[in-house]
Order: sequence, then C-alpha cells, then structure tokens
Amino acid sequence: MDVSRALEQHIAVFGEGGSGKTVLLSSFYGATQEPQYRKQSLFHVVADNMGQGARLHRNYLGMKNSAQVPATTRFTGTSYSFSIKLKDGAGAKAMKDKPFDALRLVWHDYPGEWFEQDVSGPEETQRRVDTFRSLLGSDVALLLVDAQRLLDNAGQEERYLKSLFANFLNGLLSLKDDLLEDGKPLVEFPRIWVLGLSKSDLLPDLDVFAFRDLLIEKGADDLDQLREVLAGLVEAKDALSVGEDFVLLSSAKFDTDRIEVTERIGVDMILPLAAMLPFERHVRWAQAKQLQGKVVETLLRGAGPLAAVLVGTKSRFLGPVGLLLNIVGPSVAEAAGLAGDKLREANSEAMAKQDNLRATLTRFAMDLDRGEEERILLRSLR
Amino acid sequence: MSLIWATRGRDWGFRFLRNDASGDPLPVYDAAFSGVEDASEIFCRVAATDALPAMVALRFADPAGRRDRAGRVIPHDFVVFGPLSDDIDSVEVGRQRIWPMVADDFERVWELPKPPPANG
Repeated sequence: MDVSRALEQHIAVFGEGGSGKTVLLSSFYGATQEPQYRKQSLFHVVADNMGQGARLHRNYLGMKNSAQVPATTRFTGTSYSFSIKLKDGAGAKAMKDKPFDALRLVWHDYPGEWFEQDVSGPEETQRRVDTFRSLLGSDVALLLVDAQRLLDNAGQEERYLKSLFANFLNGLLSLKDDLLEDGKPLVEFPRIWVLGLSKSDLLPDLDVFAFRDLLIEKGADDLDQLREVLAGLVEAKDALSVGEDFVLLSSAKFDTDRIEVTERIGVDMILPLAAMLPFERHVRWAQAKQLQGKVVETLLRGAGPLAAVLVGTKSRFLGPVGLLLNIVGPSVAEAAGLAGDKLREANSEAMAKQDNLRATLTRFAMDLDRGEEERILLRSLR
Repeated sequence: MSLIWATRGRDWGFRFLRNDASGDPLPVYDAAFSGVEDASEIFCRVAATDALPAMVALRFADPAGRRDRAGRVIPHDFVVFGPLSDDIDSVEVGRQRIWPMVADDFERVWELPKPPPANG
C-alpha cells in the first residue's frame, strides 16, 4: 500500500512482565480475524507482516482452543504494523477525494522486564534503547496497571503502585541519555499517557471511576513524579497528559482450564483510542494555545486530513503551514467538536452514502462515547 | 564452552543465568532459537556455521512446575555445545542430561526478588 495514502498512528503499550501486553495484542488482532467481526465491520485489519500476523493469530487460537497463554516475550521488542483496510464502499472515485484511504496502526511490544531489571549484555542493551526510541515515537502510550497485582496487594495497593511507577520512572531515567540526542527534549513523544487496568475482569466491581479514584488515592505522589520525569523529556510540557485518561481492559476471561476470548473488556476501544484520541486532544491543546512552533506542526500533521474526512469536506489537506497560520482551521475545529447527535448524524449520513472511511472514523468517535457511557473509559477534560 | 541457560524467576524476568560462551550470549541464543521462538518445548539441532559451532537448542517447562507471578509455568531455554550435546536427540533426553546440571542453582535463585548475575 502507498504509505502516503495511509494515516499512521502508533500506540505504545507499557507494562511489567506478565501484565498482559502480548495477550492484549494477540486478543486485539485475533478478534479481528473472527468471521463475525469480518462480516460486521466496515474494514479489515491486516497485519503488514504475514509472519507477525500468523504468530498473533496462533497466540489467539492457542488461548481460544487450548487455554494456552502466549509465550513470554524474550529479549526482543517488536513493532507490529496493521493496516485498517476499508471494504469497498461507494467506489474508487469517492475514495480519490479522500486525503487518505486507509489507517495504519503500529503497536509496539517489548519484554516487560526491560523496565524492571538490568539487561544481560551489550546486544540486549542496544535492543532496549532501539525499542524505546520507537516506543517513544508513538502518539498514545498505554501504561498497564495489573489487576492481579492489585489483588495480590489488596489493602496495600500503594505498595504495588509505588513499585510499578518507580520501576517505570527509573527505567526511563536510566535510558534518558540514550533517548535524547544532545540532551535536547523530544518533540515526537507520546503526549497522552492512558492508564489501563489490565485483567480488569478480576475486579468486576471496579468501574473506570473507581479505578481512577484508586490510583489517585494510593498512587498520586508516584504518578506526579512520573509526570515530572516525562515532562523533563519533552518539548512543550503543557501539551502532555499523564494519567488523565483511564481505560479498563481485559483480553479474555481466564479460568483454570479455559480461556474465554469472547469475554473481552475495552479491547475494542484500542483502535478508536489510537485513531481519535490524539486528534481530539491535540486540536484542543492547539485551540488553548498550548502548542507552539515545531510541536504544532508535528502534532497536527494528521489533523487536517482526518478533519476533512470527519466533516465530509473535499478539502484534501490543510497542511502544516496552514495549520501554523490558522492554528486550527474551521474544518478541524468542527471535526474535533463532533459529538452526540451531530456525530450520530454524520455517521448515518456516511453509512447511507457507503462512505466507509467517514463511517469508520465517526464510528470510532461514537465507540469512545459508548466506552464512557459504559464506564470503561474516562477521558481527560483538559 | 558447553552451555547457555536462559530462564526467569517468579518475580524477575527472562535473563541468562549461565553463559559458557565467550562474550555476549544473546546472538548465539538467537541463532539457536531462530524460527522456533514460540514453541513450548524445543529440541533442535543447529548445524555449525563459519561463526558458530554446531549446537542444540533445547527448551522445556520447569520440571517442578514452578510458575512466575503471572501464573505462567517457567520455561528453561538452553543452547548446548560440544560433547555435551552429542547424544541429546529429544526434549526428554535433553531434560535428563541438562536439568541436573542447573537444578540446584535454580532452586537457590528463583524466588529472589531481583535476578542474580550470569554465572553467579
């Protein structure tokens, strides 16, 4: 596929060893390969590397059919690239008017212990640096809090949260010199750090508000420190939200002899989160004048094309220069403000016209609204 | 050079606990396990190359069924070289030959909160 015709979003999923990163990735991809998903969805999720796709699908089938969890990720980080290929809608002519005709999701996975302990030798050291460089080029970071570890520390959750955030913070600090070139703060950096409760099925009484409250009650100081360290790595510190968005996740229900992969929580939020959250947030920051210079250009480079699709205009591309001049053009502001009835109308209109790209993106925005209604997602108001 | 051993503890993650090779064990480990990374049990004989001698890649689950903190049975990965590898022709034979060489070491370290150094 022509890269310039795909809007690419990167997601970095951070979590300790055993917190469920690879299981989440396998559950996400495997579910999209099920016949029902392929029939109902307006798009196909295709792994750009067939070997990687087969591996994830095998992991998923191993869970579904044999109650086997995926192998531990050892010594190597991997970036998985997925193309979100739209089904044929109103025809190729309509697609030619679009600024892009596909989405690409790049999901970075790595061995969890890389933030918890020293590595074994020079080759692993180099791999760790390379992996974190690519992780930190993501738009959204998802930091996993492990429900099993919360349960193991019931009543003393602060012990686990302190160790989780401290390990992560120390890991980042130890890599800081390798990650920053000449000590310069990074422009490309995940600006949105969502806290995800993995294995959330283990805590069925905890909705996303209760999860947020638990983190604030038992981990606020550690989270503040993490926020400070992240802010120290990045240019335009105001354009950063760490621990302001929350999501509940469960890749499957794990029983002793069975893994029920259809009982997922929040996994269907990941694609909408990766595609829409940076857009919504970056535009809002631009409107609040929290972005300057090169940061505007970098963060809003996908906003014009995405906005054009969402509001259904034919303007192909506002371009970074236009964005710099206008900060946020009218179509971008309108698109970012699409919500409620207007959003549903836009989606119905797109569905009626078989405009699958617009229908998909408006559906993503509706999925995020639904996630909030169902209390599995909580987005920052900032 | 006879053995490279990689495993994990209950709380610490995957790392090399024994490295009889000179230098960094990871490139050798990668060469041995290339293409069979995800299998839960492995016996694989790898032919010698210009850079590396003939070796056997061996993986089996912890014989005592010990699990990590996420509940996964701990795997043990070995790269076996030289005469030690000569009569290994299956996972089972590999387990019988190799496990007694490291069992006591693992018993000593697997519950430690932090990982021990290689050859420690």
